[in-house]
Amino acid sequence: MFAIHKNIKTGQRLSVLALAISAGISPALADGYGLQNANRGKADTSKWECKRCTSESGFKGSIGIGAAYNDASDIHFGNTTGTDTDGAVGHLEADLINKSESGYETSFTANKLGYDTGSAKVETGMPGHYQIALGYRGLANYDTNAALTPYLNSGDDLYLPSNWQTGAITSQMPSLFDDINYVELKSQRDLFLLDAQYKGTFYQADINYQHEKREGKRVFSGNFLTNSAMLAEAIDDTTDEFGAKIYFNGKGWLAGIDSSFSQYKNDHNSLTWQNAFSPTFGAAYTGQSAVSPDNKAYRIGANAQLSGNGHQILVHMGLASFTQDEAFLPATINGPSPALPVTNLDGKVDTTDMKLKYTGRVIRGLSVRASYDYSDRDNKTARNPYPQVITDSYYAGTAINPEYDRTKQQAKLGAKYRFSRAIYLDSGYQYDHNDFSDLDRDSLQQNSLFARLSYSISPAWSTWIKADFSDRTGSAYNAVSTTNSPSNPYLRKSYLADRKRQEYQLSVSYSPTSPFSASANVRISQDDYDDTLVGLTKVDAQGYDISANYMFSDELSINAYLNQDWRDSDQAGSSNFSLPNWYANTDEKSTLVGAGIDYIHLLDKKLDLGFDYTYSDGQSDTEITQGLTSPYGDYFAEKHNINAFATYQLGEQMALRFDWIFEHYKDSDWLNQGLTVDSIPNVLIFGDLSHDYNAHYLGLTFSYQL
Amino acid sequence: MKRVTQSLAIKSIPLMLIAMLAGCSGDDGNPGNPGEPGGPPASEINSLDITVNEVLFDSGVATVNYRITNEADEPVVGIPSATYIAAQLLPQGYTNAGNASEWQYFTAESCSSSCDGEFVDHKNGKYSYTFSGPFDGMNDITYIDGATQRVVIKVGGDSLPDGTALPITNQYLDWQDEGSEPAYTRDILDIQSCNTCHDDLAFHGPAGKGKYNEVQACVTCHNLAKVSNPGNVFAPMVHTKHLTGFPVSLADCQTCHAPDEELAQNMNWARVPTMEACGSCHTNIDFPAGQGHPTQVDNSSCVACHNPDWTINAHSQEATDAVLGHFKAEIVSAELNGDTVNFAVRLSNPATNEVYSSSADKLNFINDLRVYANWGISVDYTTRSAKSIKLQDATPISGSNGVYHYRIAGLTLSADPATDKGALALQGKLCNDNAMLVDCAETDSTTIIKSSHQFFSATAVTDLGRRVVVTNETCGSCHGDQQLNYHGSRNDLEQQCQLCHNPNMLADASATNPGASTADYKHLAHTLHAGSRESYPNINYPGKIGNCAQCHTTDAAGVLTAALPLNKAVQPLAFSDGTFTSATSAICSDCHLSDTAISHMTQQGGVFKGTEADATAGTESCATCHGQGATVDVLKVHPIQ
Repeated sequence: MFAIHKNIKTGQRLSVLALAISAGISPALADGYGLQNANRGKADTSKWECKRCTSESGFKGSIGIGAAYNDASDIHFGNTTGTDTDGAVGHLEADLINKSESGYETSFTANKLGYDTGSAKVETGMPGHYQIALGYRGLANYDTNAALTPYLNSGDDLYLPSNWQTGAITSQMPSLFDDINYVELKSQRDLFLLDAQYKGTFYQADINYQHEKREGKRVFSGNFLTNSAMLAEAIDDTTDEFGAKIYFNGKGWLAGIDSSFSQYKNDHNSLTWQNAFSPTFGAAYTGQSAVSPDNKAYRIGANAQLSGNGHQILVHMGLASFTQDEAFLPATINGPSPALPVTNLDGKVDTTDMKLKYTGRVIRGLSVRASYDYSDRDNKTARNPYPQVITDSYYAGTAINPEYDRTKQQAKLGAKYRFSRAIYLDSGYQYDHNDFSDLDRDSLQQNSLFARLSYSISPAWSTWIKADFSDRTGSAYNAVSTTNSPSNPYLRKSYLADRKRQEYQLSVSYSPTSPFSASANVRISQDDYDDTLVGLTKVDAQGYDISANYMFSDELSINAYLNQDWRDSDQAGSSNFSLPNWYANTDEKSTLVGAGIDYIHLLDKKLDLGFDYTYSDGQSDTEITQGLTSPYGDYFAEKHNINAFATYQLGEQMALRFDWIFEHYKDSDWLNQGLTVDSIPNVLIFGDLSHDYNAHYLGLTFSYQL
Repeated sequence: MKRVTQSLAIKSIPLMLIAMLAGCSGDDGNPGNPGEPGGPPASEINSLDITVNEVLFDSGVATVNYRITNEADEPVVGIPSATYIAAQLLPQGYTNAGNASEWQYFTAESCSSSCDGEFVDHKNGKYSYTFSGPFDGMNDITYIDGATQRVVIKVGGDSLPDGTALPITNQYLDWQDEGSEPAYTRDILDIQSCNTCHDDLAFHGPAGKGKYNEVQACVTCHNLAKVSNPGNVFAPMVHTKHLTGFPVSLADCQTCHAPDEELAQNMNWARVPTMEACGSCHTNIDFPAGQGHPTQVDNSSCVACHNPDWTINAHSQEATDAVLGHFKAEIVSAELNGDTVNFAVRLSNPATNEVYSSSADKLNFINDLRVYANWGISVDYTTRSAKSIKLQDATPISGSNGVYHYRIAGLTLSADPATDKGALALQGKLCNDNAMLVDCAETDSTTIIKSSHQFFSATAVTDLGRRVVVTNETCGSCHGDQQLNYHGSRNDLEQQCQLCHNPNMLADASATNPGASTADYKHLAHTLHAGSRESYPNINYPGKIGNCAQCHTTDAAGVLTAALPLNKAVQPLAFSDGTFTSATSAICSDCHLSDTAISHMTQQGGVFKGTEADATAGTESCATCHGQGATVDVLKVHPIQ
């Protein structure tokens, strides 16, 4: 009951499925042959009890302390090790539990505590009755420490050194190279969690609270007409979320409600930055941009599930409301600002979602399922004419905030038929209907069909093949006229365009009772946007996975896997607002290779060894053809990673663990590859943000078994 | 390696290649395959039609195969000389983001008595030319696979062996070596757009014998790869040359970049703004130095502000047309009452088809709306002082619901007003904010309306009135559609000017060229365009000054109004000392003012600076020889097109 990853987004999406699982009832996803459909009435469950699983009372577990050397000259390595501290770094490990005779339990676990990505948790209570947990978890993302900028941060402001002299173009900024400094682009999240649950005979209640604090810096683009500067925007914000749910259950039924409230607060009210360029017009010496506004979300959902005689019905309804009323900034801070129609957006978006699902076994060997999903986004924010001051420089009339309302409906029908013990066919039909406002199309419809044939050839060999087809079309395509300059009439935006999609998959697995097992999977798909003249016209994708595992003995095992995917996208463009006259082709390729060996119980069962190697490579090559073909530059990321460990049992209670991580990482993006801060006349950039490093992590952990 | 460059030619590849090889080998003297007969050769040649069939490649060396016929599609055999130009086009944005597409000159090769490359006359109207070497590397330009290529062929300016003169003709083929059609083009405008004003534009050669008369030929040399001065690249060069003396507002790009859907890049003037194209007119701007415009070191950002809508708004008649689309002023009735003309004006909004119910003095968007009146069309008007009324300041005598009555008194009447006619001319200015009409108190921006005229008799408005000699359309071929404004907002060059610029204007008795000293319309127009008026010393007439049809329209019978004899209403030229020159002589001597010409006219009855009675006695016998249909008809002796 300890959900770490909940945040404002996923919290809202917490599915009825997850709730059902958490409430301790059989999975709702099951389709007629799941365990919950088994006839358990005559089963002698007493035979299932684990006779040897006697729970021991008392205090036990292990505690460890570790020290490591971490090479973080490029902080990107921190994404692998969990810390960007360069040099020596220490951490705490714990896995302690105290059980009383009465069944009361208290536990403390810690993992890499002391690192940015460390975690710790204290839990106490009677498992199965009530439990309270208090936890912490750190998350971090390290982008680069090689970004160069002359800007300095202070609160909401990004300012330049006092002696800064502006230039019309970057190469005319006289003190640029004297004033630039490295800035780290990374973010750190600290999550504090509190969770309490109580389980009665026919009900279960749970309340939880989570506080998340985020700090760091990320890229922001500060624009003045045709001049732009890459800025390191400070991130300082918090999200608080409170959730409560109660579920009742009886034989064959489950019902409950869950609710949540979340609040986002940004410590920054705006982002202001000094113009590094000589103003193009007037006195545009400083720019100001709004930042993510403080906002709140409420959600309440109700779920009910009924099952019996091989039939199951699931009903869900959820209502949510999102609001923000952060005070508006003036339309411009350069000269008098045109009057705003209101002082804040008073924004409100309500969503409604519903789900109705039936699964049941009709006759022996045949089960059917049907479901209907509805979700609606209703923007209740008042529409007003807002003055537009283009990049804080000149007034360009007013624009009315669009609603972007959306209603999605989905109906699914499916059936699964078992021809024999070895062969079954699963097939389904799905209809999607979407209604939009303020988009180029008012509605989109999609019809989809799939079929999957599974065949267990022998106890060791099994295979399945799957085919999917879908056809998307919609109402008349009328390019939106609310934008400043109209769209090319031949343009079809890919997410609204007519599309035919086909996907095929073949999977084979070999898992005999022998030491060797393997599986392979091949997939191919094709998207055709056959009514599109300008826009994305075709996407072809192929891929395969192979994995194998071999256990030489109880002590020695090896595993290896290989995965490759390709995607080839075609798009057509027009430089003269008419039929296509240029074409772009993007070839993407990713490769993942891994191999590992585990050799344990060496040296009189005192030494365990593990070694894993992974290689990953992703690249994207784009070519533009307009008679002549011009390829874009490099865009790739390549990584070799070795992760090895050795643990040595020093005695009954003491153990020493040695960790070695090596990583060779290299990436590049032609957007900034080989560039310096003044390479682009009208964009003050961070310079080359490519990575290319070899880094080691060497750790020693001493642990003590209580 | 042989590459076929035009899929049109696929079926004939083997034959063509054999023919080419035979043609190229050149050392065994065999004529190769005879080829299909081309039909009887041309007997008469008024124009040449060159069909460029294909360009074939052999080891990088191009051979162009083409056919030349006359206007009757008869093959022309024995063309004695030709010039071949090859150039390559780099696509838009290729040289840098925002840059326009750009031609790159490879070579120009000629064939007459000797050849740079290899020339074959297949003696059936078909010709082949093989360039002297591979394009790649010529003029230090790299030949790029897939790029759009152009071959220009120029023939003519000389004669066939039998003496038949060959008109200068340019033809071109855009092609590429990968696929049938070029993937991109630079079709911006056609020479026709130039020739509305320039008649027969041709360059590089003696006057009238210019070798290059198609824009598509000009651009193959006037590019950065060929000319040493960037100012001689085609677009900047042409823009710069029109900066002075342009007969219409330079702000309207569509004067030359006339809309033409046949040309794929016709809208580039609005869609591809570059410092080279824009800066060639906006000469006070130094983009890289940031003078006159915020600094821009390249063309990558131009379109961010100067998007097509912006440019169209600033550099075309679109906004003006939109404003004028909301206003129409008409004289709906007129009659003569003594020496007063009573008339009624109707103001309406054509866009909504509604009348403006208020009178002009009550409509706050009218900056100026005037009506002028003159009488006596039988004598080309009785006075040079047309009377006028400002409607925006006048309270109408009567009227309601959009039609209001006014009067102009004090007209000078002619001998028999009951059978004569007069004219009313209307002009004005409207206050606007972009395309909208707004209260004049709220804007400084005004739009001049298109002036108009209305003839009237003693009793009613009439369609027919003064003879039509030139029209707003013929004037507009150079001056734009009523875009030439004189004295503020007078632009009805067809009939408004003449209300004052009439024979009552006097010529300076001491002037060497009397026509250049009077403001009488016909003399004013002739001498002004000929560059002989002191007040317009720098007139550089863009066409052939003798092409009367550039300005003169045709009458109901289809005869050009420059024809003799003159209309009876045409009056002699009056001088400040009370003398007169007879009408035809006065007009002809506007241009033909040598002593020989004057004495010829005098011998044939012309009167120069005589009494009014002599000058109107009808002694001129010009039309006998120069009249319409006569032996030396003025319509034949002038280079009229």
